[in-house]
Amino acid sequence: MREEYLDIPVEPPAEFQPLFVPIPREYVENAFRSDEFIVLVGPQHPGSGHMRIVVRIKGDIIVDALPEPGYVHRSMEKLAENRLYIQNIPLFERPSIMDSSNYNVGYVRAIEDALDIEVPERARYIRTIFCELSRIGTHLYDAGIFSVFLGHTTGFMWPFGLRELICEANLRATGTRVTTSFIVPGGVRADVDDSVLKFIYDSMGVIEKRMKGFEKIFIKNPAVIARLKDVGVLTKEEAIRYGVVGPFLRASGVAYDVRKVEGYDAYDELEWEVPVGDDGDAYTRFLVRVEEISQSIKIIRQAIKNIPRGPILSDDLIGKLKEKDQVRKNIKGYFYRIFSRIRLPQGEFTSQTEAGRGLLLYSIVSDGESNVPYRVRMVTPGWLYLKGFMESLKGSRLADLQAIYGSFGYFPPEADR
Amino acid sequence: MDENIRFLHDGPLSPIKRWGAKWSLWPVHLVTACCGVELAHAYACGYDGERLGSLNYGIARQTNLIIVEGAITRKMARVLKITWEQMPDPKFVIVMGACGLNGGLFWNGYNMVRPSDVVPVDYFIPGCPPTPEALLRAIRALQDKIMSGRADSTARFEKVDLRDLVQMPETPKLKRAPTPPLKITKAPPIKVDIPREVDWDGDEILSLINDKIGNYATGITVTGRGRIHARIPLERWRETASALSANFDHVRSVNVIDVPHEEKFIVEYTLSSYTDRTLTGVLLTIFTEVPREDPVIESLADIWPSADYMEREMYEFFGVWFDGNDWMGRKFLLAPDTPDYPLRKDFEVNKESYVIGRERR
Repeated sequence: MREEYLDIPVEPPAEFQPLFVPIPREYVENAFRSDEFIVLVGPQHPGSGHMRIVVRIKGDIIVDALPEPGYVHRSMEKLAENRLYIQNIPLFERPSIMDSSNYNVGYVRAIEDALDIEVPERARYIRTIFCELSRIGTHLYDAGIFSVFLGHTTGFMWPFGLRELICEANLRATGTRVTTSFIVPGGVRADVDDSVLKFIYDSMGVIEKRMKGFEKIFIKNPAVIARLKDVGVLTKEEAIRYGVVGPFLRASGVAYDVRKVEGYDAYDELEWEVPVGDDGDAYTRFLVRVEEISQSIKIIRQAIKNIPRGPILSDDLIGKLKEKDQVRKNIKGYFYRIFSRIRLPQGEFTSQTEAGRGLLLYSIVSDGESNVPYRVRMVTPGWLYLKGFMESLKGSRLADLQAIYGSFGYFPPEADR
Repeated sequence: MDENIRFLHDGPLSPIKRWGAKWSLWPVHLVTACCGVELAHAYACGYDGERLGSLNYGIARQTNLIIVEGAITRKMARVLKITWEQMPDPKFVIVMGACGLNGGLFWNGYNMVRPSDVVPVDYFIPGCPPTPEALLRAIRALQDKIMSGRADSTARFEKVDLRDLVQMPETPKLKRAPTPPLKITKAPPIKVDIPREVDWDGDEILSLINDKIGNYATGITVTGRGRIHARIPLERWRETASALSANFDHVRSVNVIDVPHEEKFIVEYTLSSYTDRTLTGVLLTIFTEVPREDPVIESLADIWPSADYMEREMYEFFGVWFDGNDWMGRKFLLAPDTPDYPLRKDFEVNKESYVIGRERR
């Protein structure tokens, strides 16, 4: 058969210019010549959050996917250079507010590492409880959004109903529903009442029980399994190569969890396991997260049972303050006096944390003289697994894009910072 | 045409039309930032926004309400405007959160836009984030506005005469503004590999790293528990990376530190390993110095694909050219109208200041 070749000059559509879609012109021409289509998914779409994915398809098979992040880039790394160390705590939890405790603990541990602060035992247990609460909250949030992506409204209602319990626990202990900013260098802001701890303990029972119902209607639902099984597979080698993190890495068969590796807070003293899958498909990624919820429940129960009595703020920070006994219970009223003078020694201090969606890395560079950081590098899990997410799209059908998106729980504010 | 529209708005049937609009406020799925968490709660079983006739829907053409959930960036502002233009009349906007009011926590960020500059706003909800109750209250207020045609604030304040509370002097004296607590040293010395005494048994790992890159590195320092910094000369950069690639299989962070007073950028790659069990707890940071006037460094994205997006990001933030990464010179994370290289130290954001009288400090 003789090959006909029409040399049609291809202009990128006019919409591309005002939208600034970062596609090279050659890319569009190339797609046209090889009989492929370019589909823009997002940023205004339920199946893609506030990001755009430029998908190149042949038939309905995805050949290539280019991400266009940055719709929620709020310039945190720059702003941190002009704020006190303590002012950066609420700033750095904004990327992922449902996961606020984990984000606080990561930043605060970098400061503690630099200043060699010993955290009292009760504060470490309280931190562990709230970190695990926000981990459950994040997994539930993503499960709910995932259900919306799959068009399963009941599956959205159940996790969000359970999240209300976590918001209520946060509210009782810290005063706000999501953005807690509860964890400060050297401990936590206030002691947690026994009644609140009992509430958290009881709500763990409710969550565990209701998750069984969720399992029936969503997790084991044949329609859900059919949509997720063998979709968006990342093999172990690929997952390592593209630097995927957190539950998504574990779903591909790598048993790596920062909580085990670094053993921060009270995780070393409690018994729990790292759930690992091996298929690396969308369904396994989801199942690993569901299993992590039950592990977190286990951690919280143990932590509440074993929580010791004692101060909640380190004596290294309180120093020679007159009102020592009061501050050891609640920092209220002495916040500025204690924290405004924090000044890190010269050098670079890096902390790693296992946030809800994976590894969270803070790297603070200090000049040793200013009371603001010289540079803070914050690498969030979403930003780390974006590459793996894009690679896992290749070869699947366009209709599966939402399933893969949801299985990663990609949260653009978190990735863009 | 105008007459028809006027008939619709003011004609005898207009109360019915308004009543219909009141009970069918459908917000479009324009999730813009983190307040979306509380929006999702407002429409979930706990608060059930649907009972007010309001339900999130995917397509802009069939909705009549935009709930701006928090921060609007320069990139998203364009999308907000386009979505607004796509929606049929009558249409309404509710702005959630402090970021939407005046920037909130990010008030001096270089990438922020006020939603009220982009679209006409019916109601603002303060809070960071506002609770679901507050969002539902705004929807109720909007319904009242549709019916009555008046936009009233839903907050009522007691009137207080200040003269009853405080005794004001006849001519108030100007006080000195307090000094902001920030103490920022100009041109400080920056060193990232400060050796530290730590309780960590890393001799085996250090000797392994020494075997691999001892010939290239000009200094290998332990800077913390499981944290190692290796200073690499710029001309041996790539050789070092290929020597390490067998053991360290991914990049966790690409970082650039701007040191303008020493005319250099410090470029750091933080490496770790998933496959090598002995190295999982280690973060090896290799770093080098790049001259500030011609910041070019070889890209390592072909050795470690996980570094690809972070190199693009660092190019946009600092203008360091990662030679070999095919996305150099293009926008990735920032909008085209964002100032160039915003994380360089010579790009300054607004700082907090106190205003007393007309004097700004």
